[in-house]
Amino acid sequence: MASTAISSNEQYNFEIVKKFAIMSLVWGVIGMAAGVYIASELAWPFLNFDIPYITFGRLRPVHTTSVIFGFGGSALFATSYYIVQRTCQARLSSDGLASFTFWGWQAIILLSGISYMLGHTQSREYAEMEWPIDIMIEIVWVSYLALYVSTIMRRKQPHIYVANWFFLAFILATALLHTFNNLAVPVSLFSMKSYSLFSGTQDAMTEWWYGHNAVGFFLTAAFLGMMYYFVPKQAGRPIYSYRLSIVHFWALSFLYMWVGAHHLHWTALPDWTSTLAATFSIMLLLPSWGGMINGIMTLSGAWDKLRTDPIMRFLIVALSFYGMATFEGPLMALKDVNALSHYTDWTVGHVHSGTLGWVSMITFGSMYHMIPKLWDTKMWSAKLVNIHFWFASIGVLLYITAMWISGITQGLMWRAFDQYGNLQYSFVESVAAMHPFYAMRAIGGMFFLSGMLMMFFNVMMTVRQAKRESAALESKLSAKMAKAGLAGA
Amino acid sequence: MSQEKIQSQTVQTTGHAWDGDLQEYNNPIPTWWLYAFYFSVAVAVVYWLMYPAWPVGGGFTTGFDSITYVNDKGEKKTTHWNTRALFMKETNEAVAAQKPYLDKVASTPFEQITKDPELNSFVVSAGKQLFSDNCAACHQQGGGGKEGFAPNLTDDDWLYGGHFANIQQTVMNGRHGYMPAFADVLNDTQVNQLTDYVLSLSRIAVNPDSAKAGDVLFHSETAACFYCHGDNAEGRQVIGSANLTDRIWLWANVPGADTIASKEAAVKNVILGGLNKGVMPAWKDRLSPEQIKVLTVYVHELGGGK
Repeated sequence: MASTAISSNEQYNFEIVKKFAIMSLVWGVIGMAAGVYIASELAWPFLNFDIPYITFGRLRPVHTTSVIFGFGGSALFATSYYIVQRTCQARLSSDGLASFTFWGWQAIILLSGISYMLGHTQSREYAEMEWPIDIMIEIVWVSYLALYVSTIMRRKQPHIYVANWFFLAFILATALLHTFNNLAVPVSLFSMKSYSLFSGTQDAMTEWWYGHNAVGFFLTAAFLGMMYYFVPKQAGRPIYSYRLSIVHFWALSFLYMWVGAHHLHWTALPDWTSTLAATFSIMLLLPSWGGMINGIMTLSGAWDKLRTDPIMRFLIVALSFYGMATFEGPLMALKDVNALSHYTDWTVGHVHSGTLGWVSMITFGSMYHMIPKLWDTKMWSAKLVNIHFWFASIGVLLYITAMWISGITQGLMWRAFDQYGNLQYSFVESVAAMHPFYAMRAIGGMFFLSGMLMMFFNVMMTVRQAKRESAALESKLSAKMAKAGLAGA
Repeated sequence: MSQEKIQSQTVQTTGHAWDGDLQEYNNPIPTWWLYAFYFSVAVAVVYWLMYPAWPVGGGFTTGFDSITYVNDKGEKKTTHWNTRALFMKETNEAVAAQKPYLDKVASTPFEQITKDPELNSFVVSAGKQLFSDNCAACHQQGGGGKEGFAPNLTDDDWLYGGHFANIQQTVMNGRHGYMPAFADVLNDTQVNQLTDYVLSLSRIAVNPDSAKAGDVLFHSETAACFYCHGDNAEGRQVIGSANLTDRIWLWANVPGADTIASKEAAVKNVILGGLNKGVMPAWKDRLSPEQIKVLTVYVHELGGGK
């Protein structure tokens, strides 16, 4: 009896999945709390308290790094290790390397946060880490790639499941992006400061080639990998179309790499670069939607579950936000729309409809599916999962509505001229006009954070419950064994 | 219809299965998806034909769309669509709209500007923008000022004078308010007496004997306050010394102090330490003469122009 439990443990390395899953939630709580705090600083600036370490400028990268790389990254490590093992029927090729990626990655997030608060930054959005941390990322990431590929090579069946293509694309592209975006010369061996190898427009172009593909491969392709496993699993139905998955995978991978320059419309970037980015963004719409269609059509035979299964709700809402954000993106990439939206809160709202609506929701759904399976139990409270869903949904809606209104208001105020050719509004008037929406955004964030805290608590209780259950089972077994032993004697 | 339904129900999977029950249907790609994708490619091609798009050799394809604009020299130019030309076109339209008014401002005396309703409303519109971008950081949006930092421009109390010429001078050359520190010159009793005298000028109930002694000290050679603040303590606008009798306070937060003791402490602090922070920068090298003229009228009209 006990030996079967051990052998299922031995078939797959789930310990590493558990560790990453828990840390994902921890970073989620930290990162979202930081997000709520900086959103509140924008609404109520006294919250800066004149303490340099917690001013908006330093806490903002703490927020983005913790949620993208801490929460999202750890969730991707967890689910990719889970999926690659289960769909290849093979254990991760090296426990040591897996453990190395875990401790390495956690150290990276922690050191990044501390270094930002102390004022060290490369000033590259989503790549603020200075060079020593960049080198650590490089090493951990290459280990991840090696582990992932070598595990796929040990697979027991000839075909590689679609989720693994997306994870592989994500790991490869991220390695490429991280390497080239962070080419820099340190001031000295003992200094955190470094200077980029690129200058001027080329530097900006490199940064946004990285920045947008971080969105494309880290926050989209990888989470599509998650979607391609957990959606059919939870719905209990096959993927809708194999052909669509192939076509949209290659179209997405090819087209994403071109579009980064749409972050630099109306700047010193050459017009032709700008046009190419805009047009490739338009062509990217349908390939992006391919994933949504495949997900929704897979779920479509199981609509009845939507009434009873909160996990299904997370998944379907995630796919809906994915579809919406990938429609909004190409729209904002058009030069004329961008002339209004650039530098406004609309961009911030767009990013969050992707990160809160899509990335977080698909992660929540996947985690709620995976965690009970990992610990071989049920969620401690199904009701709390449901409440989490509503808090998260209300939070996203408040957030993006606030940012739409404030973003479009900003854009219109900045470009308004009166009949004399004078600007109608000063910048500071547009800042004052944002206040109610900043407050609303902070409240939306608080809803989302509350949901995250519920999840964290629920998962902690689930783990405790699982330990109690297995202890009870263990003692029952040993009692039985003892009895049998006694009878035998 | 029913046949389609049957067909969709009988679609085969690819025959692979992973992790137990993970399978894939072999459904064709939805045709609407495919045509929509082709359409998006067509839109991209049209975009490429219209605008600068592909790098070729040392240059790039310019596209068929063109833009006509008037450059800085007033020449009409037509070029392929590009952001620089569009920027010139749009800003020059705004500049052209402003020009007749700015020209008129330059040639019209201050008093005449305020009497011309059309010109005056231009000044209010342009002035608000100039004020917000250049002055509001210290004087605050609307010119209300900030206690202990920058004077209120909406009342009729002027440190350097509220006539058009005074304001214009202030904006052009900036100002530097200064008061010496008396900590080493006067003893504690003397400072207290002066404090009470100054507060009594604002009709605040302090010890009358002490205030009287302060009055004498104020006009004596020992403290010599009257040199700058004048015999009647009403200040001298030539040097920007404050009027101490009008109950308007910039540096000592007397209205904000609750008790007499804290009011005294606020005034005492200024007498002991003096002032060297009333610095306003000069704007004559940053703004054009017309812009300064616009700002002068705008500030004059904020409330207290003389």
